[in-house]
Amino acid sequence: MTLSERMLKIDRRIIFLVIGLCTLLPLLYPVGLPIKISPEVRSIYEYIESLPERSVFLLSIDFDPASKPELHPQAIALLRHAFRKNLRVVAMTLWVSGTGMADQLLTQVAQEMGKEDGKDYVFLGWSSGGTAVIISMGQDLYKAFPSDYGGKATKGIPVLEGVQSLKDVAYAISLGAGNPGVEAWYVFGKDKYKFELGGGCTGVIAPGLYPLLRSGQINGLIGGLRGAAEYESLVGQKGRAVAGMDAQSATHFAIIVLVAICNLFYFSLRQQQGRSRQS
Amino acid sequence: MIFLRRQLPLLITMITGLLFAGQYYVPHPSSELLLTSATKWLQIIGGFALVLGITSLFHQHAVKIRRQEAGWGYSLVLYAGMLVTLAAGALAKGKESLDGAMTGFGWVYSFMLVPLQGTMFAILAFFIASAAYRSFRARSREAAVLLVAAVIVMMGRVPLGEYLIPLSGDVSQWILNVLNASVRRAILIGVSLGAIALSFKIIFGVERSYLGGGKE
Amino acid sequence: MDATTLGAWMATGLTLFIFSFLYKDNPLFKLAEHLYVGVSVGYHIVKIFDSVVVNLIYKPIVEQEEIALLIPVAIGLLMLTRYLPKAAWMSRYAFAFIVGVGSGLAIPRTISAFILKQVEDTVRPLLSMAGGDGLTFSMNLLNPASNLNAIIILIGVSSVLFYFFFSIEHSGPGKVVARTGIVFLMIAFGAAFGYTVMARMSLLIGRLTDLIEFSDASYGHPTLWLLIVTVAALFLLARRRQQEPPEAH
Repeated sequence: MTLSERMLKIDRRIIFLVIGLCTLLPLLYPVGLPIKISPEVRSIYEYIESLPERSVFLLSIDFDPASKPELHPQAIALLRHAFRKNLRVVAMTLWVSGTGMADQLLTQVAQEMGKEDGKDYVFLGWSSGGTAVIISMGQDLYKAFPSDYGGKATKGIPVLEGVQSLKDVAYAISLGAGNPGVEAWYVFGKDKYKFELGGGCTGVIAPGLYPLLRSGQINGLIGGLRGAAEYESLVGQKGRAVAGMDAQSATHFAIIVLVAICNLFYFSLRQQQGRSRQS
Repeated sequence: MIFLRRQLPLLITMITGLLFAGQYYVPHPSSELLLTSATKWLQIIGGFALVLGITSLFHQHAVKIRRQEAGWGYSLVLYAGMLVTLAAGALAKGKESLDGAMTGFGWVYSFMLVPLQGTMFAILAFFIASAAYRSFRARSREAAVLLVAAVIVMMGRVPLGEYLIPLSGDVSQWILNVLNASVRRAILIGVSLGAIALSFKIIFGVERSYLGGGKE
Repeated sequence: MDATTLGAWMATGLTLFIFSFLYKDNPLFKLAEHLYVGVSVGYHIVKIFDSVVVNLIYKPIVEQEEIALLIPVAIGLLMLTRYLPKAAWMSRYAFAFIVGVGSGLAIPRTISAFILKQVEDTVRPLLSMAGGDGLTFSMNLLNPASNLNAIIILIGVSSVLFYFFFSIEHSGPGKVVARTGIVFLMIAFGAAFGYTVMARMSLLIGRLTDLIEFSDASYGHPTLWLLIVTVAALFLLARRRQQEPPEAH
């Protein structure tokens, strides 16, 4: 076998090792390169900045532990921002296996910012039905969620004063990892109930949401860990997302180099085969 | 009997489908009340649908254990994990934390489910790298275009790439906001048209595979 | 040993067992995989009971006397008859209801959100060129809302839509349009691949961050010890497989 053939058939565990090292080393020895803020993340930040105090901010934590590394930092940064602006935070989830995680992160940030359950925020929890929950909330929030996650009746909670349905929400953000996610919130929510909608999502589905961003159906998009890092920088509290950016840089360059090497050997092999066919 | 088994379900689909498609355009309060009730009902029925999915999984592994097929010991591990979680959930009344303290159920969630599910998906990173090395070759002009676009976006979306070549950040933003947006828009329009056509076929009974439940 | 330390050891162990799959499929991975499915199913059942049965069915019917909710409960129970071969046909009513309502709800909303609004946004920017004081044309490539980009978007949307229209032959001028569509598609797929790589790497970064966090002395260095245990277990399993005589079939 020629060198090209051997290199093209290399044991994949060597590639695994390369990726593992490219991820581990920058996490242990960070460099901290500057992060440029993209317009789609900035527009969400500026919209929240413009909201008056005690506006109702709905955060739908539509992801499960599989997408935690990308969307958990987004949720934390957004909640810190919302609490700093003294907005009334209504949190919920449409993904059953994300319920515990959503409850825990909301409690953690609320404690950190000195906010009170029932007065400054409420966690509605999860309800089955997916998109039916969105329509149900748009018709009558108290029918969709008769009680909050702790079992307390939602009617009469101070934080939900004056809120009858999604029409009374000032700004909603869905942090989605798939379906139901940002698209469902637009189609079954904003289309009829006319609240402002922003989106956060994993890197896999981010490119698919750009048509909605361009048409103004969502007013901003926080894409993946990079988007979370940008938002953390805007809020001024750097967390896990910013810390992971160096590893992200290293792994991306590793992939680019691997693809370049593979193409180099592929073309040299094709040249060799062409020459041997001619002779 | 044929009417009860085949025609009546199809009739229900058609009536409910047309009713709720028309409901969107009728702003009358009774139409809104219909929507409120229907979506509340769907929430409850959705829960039963989840139960259906779960019980089929039970059945699959129960058969494996009963027949002592290869690897039935692992099916026992599956049941053990499920029973422990159910017991913890019953003790904690289904809550991960009570009065600020983590319950046993919360412990199982945070230290078992979250790491397990997270790692299952994290190992995909290794496979995408190995797959990229094995098969991401510029075999044709179109593949070369794909490759170049991928490299630009991969470089432009990390701080190191923007630091080394600032233009890569701007170009990748343009690719995403203009070129990618236009393609995704076309795909979105096309897929939505297809989905609506399928929905109409279902409503008018041309497409019946969703019914299932026995012969006929 | 308190609950958090025990949890750190459990989480680290399970993470390393699943990572061991990268070396080779092995019993440790299979154990963790089946445990994941079991715990996940258990969690789903508890949540369904807590959120749906207690909060949506029991409390409203018994405490607020919304008897009408017995109808969806009945429909849901009909769905479960799918498991009884003699009565499975009754589940058709439940599915007919769900699918009917679902399709009915989705059709007008999808038309409005994904077709009309998207087509409107493709065409409307072109109107901005004809302002009160004659034709203007902004050429800033970096501004997605500029007129040049609006034209590029229009070309992209129409050529890709044309490419997927297989009812007529892509020949002559049609071939040019289809080829343009293919070029746009390839660029978009390249961007999608780049983002998918970014997403997958982020997931790995997240897990390794947790492993590093749990390697701390306050938990008793679980990462280090369990790494040694996992490697030793893999080594012993490989030795045992070598020493076993090949099974007769």
